Amino acid sequence: MGKLEETLRLIKEGVSNSKEIARRMDISVEEVEGIIKILESMGYIEKVEFGSPACESCPLKKICPGSCIHFKGEIYQLRKSNEYK
Amino acid sequence: MGSFTQGLKVIALAGNPNVGKTTIFNALTGLRQHVGNWPGVTVEKKEGIMEYKGEEFLVVDLPGTYSLTAHAVDELVARNFILEGNADVIVDVVDASCLMRNLFLTMEILEMGVKNVVIALNKIDIAKKKGARFDIKKMEKVLGIPVIPTNAKSGQGLDELRRVIKAAAEGKIVGNPISPVYDEPIEREIEHVSKVLEGTPLVEKYNVRWLAIKLLTRDQEVIKLILRYLGQTKMDEILQHISEVEEYYKRSLDIVIANQKYEFIDKLMHQFVTHFGEVRETLSDQLDKILTHPVYGIISLLAVFYALFKFVFTLGTPIQEWLGGVFDALGSSIAPHIGDEMLRGLIVDGMIGGVGAVLSFFPLVFLLFIAMAILEDSGYMARAATVMERIMRKFGLPGKSFIPMVLAFGCNVPAVMATRTLDNERDRILTMLINPLVPCSARMVVITFLAGAFFSAHQALVAVGIYAISILLALLSALFLGKFLIKGEESPFVIELPDYLVPAWKSVIIHSWERSKEFLRKAGTVILAGAIAIWYLSNYPAPIGGGLSYAEKLGEAVEPFTKLMGLDWRAAVSLIFGIIAKENVIATYGIIYGVGESEVALATLMKNAMTPLQAFVLGLVTTLYLPCIATIGAIRAEGGNKWAAVAVIYNLALSSIVGILVYNIGLLLGL
Repeated sequence: MGKLEETLRLIKEGVSNSKEIARRMDISVEEVEGIIKILESMGYIEKVEFGSPACESCPLKKICPGSCIHFKGEIYQLRKSNEYK
Repeated sequence: MGSFTQGLKVIALAGNPNVGKTTIFNALTGLRQHVGNWPGVTVEKKEGIMEYKGEEFLVVDLPGTYSLTAHAVDELVARNFILEGNADVIVDVVDASCLMRNLFLTMEILEMGVKNVVIALNKIDIAKKKGARFDIKKMEKVLGIPVIPTNAKSGQGLDELRRVIKAAAEGKIVGNPISPVYDEPIEREIEHVSKVLEGTPLVEKYNVRWLAIKLLTRDQEVIKLILRYLGQTKMDEILQHISEVEEYYKRSLDIVIANQKYEFIDKLMHQFVTHFGEVRETLSDQLDKILTHPVYGIISLLAVFYALFKFVFTLGTPIQEWLGGVFDALGSSIAPHIGDEMLRGLIVDGMIGGVGAVLSFFPLVFLLFIAMAILEDSGYMARAATVMERIMRKFGLPGKSFIPMVLAFGCNVPAVMATRTLDNERDRILTMLINPLVPCSARMVVITFLAGAFFSAHQALVAVGIYAISILLALLSALFLGKFLIKGEESPFVIELPDYLVPAWKSVIIHSWERSKEFLRKAGTVILAGAIAIWYLSNYPAPIGGGLSYAEKLGEAVEPFTKLMGLDWRAAVSLIFGIIAKENVIATYGIIYGVGESEVALATLMKNAMTPLQAFVLGLVTTLYLPCIATIGAIRAEGGNKWAAVAVIYNLALSSIVGILVYNIGLLLGL
């Protein structure tokens, strides 16, 4: 199994952060992040937009006390439609 | 650009996003630029004129992409531009510090059969700092195309790049690009498809090997293109053949081909890149070993949130008490100037009292948002996410549910709306139903008030305890509802952990203020309206105390039930008004006791009427019972009447069971 598929397999298995994937595959975090970008462009995973789109369309936006909890770091989720088609 | 660009040689800049492509584009073209859109799509198109040795070239900046599949519009735009043969030279801007993923795109370009490709090996300074050394001559030889090391920011290598571009455009440099080689079954199939295509006019315009590879990956755009020339019967035959190869690999060929391409690049790179020095473990790596550990990560998470509440209470409580005094003084100073008793009651007890009781929590809310912003900006939240996700998965929640769950700590309404991002119906409904169990910032006001008033020595511990119980119940509810009510599959995800950073204070303060401002706005609208309504119901048809007011009647009607969890009619009325907005639970107490604006006086009166156990139950029930009206509305809008009803019934039942259990167990323990 090549690195792209191995990364997909680990994500599917529940390894949810890039550092842990890098450790398990014995490659650099930069390489894992590069693989993630390639998998994203191939449609195997997709970037998750965190928070703001839902908040922007929220009717309570004007009076909401904490609508924008966010964090640094990007989230990608496995796309079922492409998962080992 | 204008018609004057006709006849100019075209230079296309391709590359991954954030590789310095725009910097190179600006350096090559100077101010002679034009920005528009690519035809038919809203993708920005940048063009500019490059002048070199008296000659002009049209430079086109292609959208930044990681590959040239047909999954995104950007990729399609870049691919079609190259494919249609619009460029005389393609400058592939490659980030030397992330070479693997950059060369993946390079291989995709070379695989299209393009000869005039020049690599601008950018950010070479960063790569060198990371310990990488490049044998440029070898790289050129291996790839079969010119490679120019550049540092776009300093301008290093750009003159050489201009010279090579001109030479390539004039045909003085012609590359002999390498192309990835695949496994025997794939190569055999490429050859088979290529032979079929060779009899069509497609060969005149496109590289047949590239078309064959794309057909193997079932690229929809290429299938459509070839279908026009081959017809459905022939196409079905080819696709059937491809299915047999897929059957051999037991998976789709796009991932097989991409994998082999990646391994091909990996092998190539060893010929021209060497890495010196050990990869040392950074402080960030060492911290992550603890903070994302399955066991230590959870302990750290609890410790961090305990510290967060300790920080909020230690700094915020004295300011909160002072602010309560300010509202108290405001009410006292205004009261003598209002002659009309009813109007005085409305303004002093109702408006200033109700809103003041909630507003005195502003320092705590502001400090909480400061603490949250520090956690977010430092990069810790991403670590907390991985720890939480691991736990959530064990309880049958999809990874993606984490986003609405985290949003819910701010407000449940956008959190419920964020469940739209879950494409699986089961995941969406499940996340929507358990979302109101996550304590929002409005409930934080109630929790902090009760914890401060009744558990001053252990207020942070009690607050974290209520949060922890609520989250645990949300997870158990997910397990229960997922098992018996809604079944489905999981959807895993991965987080790219950012480096730890010292938060920038300016950004923390601005961010916290932006959020806190909304709290003030809510106090001036929803809470104010609620306070007026509570005041009216507490004073009509007769003032509270005689058992005749609407509020007392309402509370007494519900009291037989709330008594089971040790809560009297005042708590019952407060909980009812809390459905409008959870802060109203405190505002209602303030109005009922007629001390609204004085948070200290309210705490004293409540302590005389309730035991710490009852206060703990009230805090817990406020956190768990009915979602506020806005949240119920959001669930109805997103999931329909059925699920809004389920949410109401489930939350009510759960809070009642928990309230009764905790109160009675507490009594048995002598609390």
